[in-house]
Amino acid sequence: MSLELFSALSANLLSPAVLFFVLGVAATLAKSDLRFPEALYATLTIYLLVAIGFKGGSAISKAGLATIWKPTLLAMSLGMVIPLLTYPALRFLGRLSPVDAAAISAHYGSVSAVTFIAATNYLRHVQLPYQEYSSAFLAVMEAPAIIVGVVLGRLGDPGARSIWTTVREAVREAVLGRSVVLLVGAMLIGWATGPKGAETTAGFFVAPFQGILALFLLEMGMVAARRFGDLRKVGTFLLGFGVVAPVLNALLGLLLARSIGLDRGTGVLLATLAASASYIAAPAAMRLSLPDANPTFYLTASLGITFPFNITVGLPLYLEMARRILPPSP
Amino acid sequence: MNPNVVTHPMKRVTIVCEKFAREPVLALVSEMGAHGWTLWEVEGSGNQGVRSADIPEFTNIQIEVIVQPRVAEALLGGLQQRFFPRYAMIAWESDVRVLRAGKF
Repeated sequence: MSLELFSALSANLLSPAVLFFVLGVAATLAKSDLRFPEALYATLTIYLLVAIGFKGGSAISKAGLATIWKPTLLAMSLGMVIPLLTYPALRFLGRLSPVDAAAISAHYGSVSAVTFIAATNYLRHVQLPYQEYSSAFLAVMEAPAIIVGVVLGRLGDPGARSIWTTVREAVREAVLGRSVVLLVGAMLIGWATGPKGAETTAGFFVAPFQGILALFLLEMGMVAARRFGDLRKVGTFLLGFGVVAPVLNALLGLLLARSIGLDRGTGVLLATLAASASYIAAPAAMRLSLPDANPTFYLTASLGITFPFNITVGLPLYLEMARRILPPSP
Repeated sequence: MNPNVVTHPMKRVTIVCEKFAREPVLALVSEMGAHGWTLWEVEGSGNQGVRSADIPEFTNIQIEVIVQPRVAEALLGGLQQRFFPRYAMIAWESDVRVLRAGKF
């Protein structure tokens, strides 16, 4: 292991947020009775999505739509391309059924907001600047992969209902899901109210952010560790896929970031989004649109393997990859 | 017995399922002719593992409807045909007696 990677890794693992995540994992594995009320989980999610959306919106109003449309469009197409790449791998290397391959692909093309937020936290920790408007990438990357995944799944198994009815339902589910509504809504408000809005809400959206993220990651450590029991059920291929796919997807994200000249910090965020797998929006859409796909496969892969991997080892690894691929941040 | 309290035989259908099945199950409930439903979130364990209910999406729900016997039969038939193969779900019926038979 190179010295840079080692120091990047220890910087991440010793940040409060990640240590709280590890605490959550450890508490669950040790069968502690520690447990967050469900309402607190929901509250923390709302706070994090609104805060990140609002800050992103303010940044968009500062940068201007002319600057952000191109990288945002690229992020969106990345979300559509990833499932098209992972599907054949799952289908032919992993020998999964068409519908399972499609559902897992949708999860890996779609994104995890918490992983993205942890990445911004990590970049701040290592003092690498990035564009705050990157939350726009997060907002546009959730839905496209879900739609591609549903189409792939329905092509493999046409079923009784027409493919377009299913796709319409999936689009509705993906676009009107609570996370997208909160994120995009807060982003619009942040954009409309500009620097003044940012100033008046900074005490709530900015100052307590790190602490609330740490609390949320404590909970996520518990949620992820509760899936560890299912790791035995998914087979070695999916265990490997849960680690290899994010790294390859991150590489793709970094190459695309280089092609349009994004700075290093923002490139790491795009790579992290490419690497992350959804565990809220995509499962909900898949249960509705592809109910024959086995949830143990996609939930265990995204929540039990890829999420903990990204939070601990993935983020510093993507930063190291970015150091070799992208020019330094301005 | 209070002669003013007149009860009528009805069926109560209870469905416990993963929350993701909520919308399609409620659509079936009204399609089969139930006039209402009651729903709450529950946790438990069964042959598809523990539903830890740690985050809202991973919880189980319990739905209860009070219906006439023929509606209960149609509803259970619909659940068996459309949902049992795909969703984590159990369902049963039981005899109940209700006031105001016309409500159901």
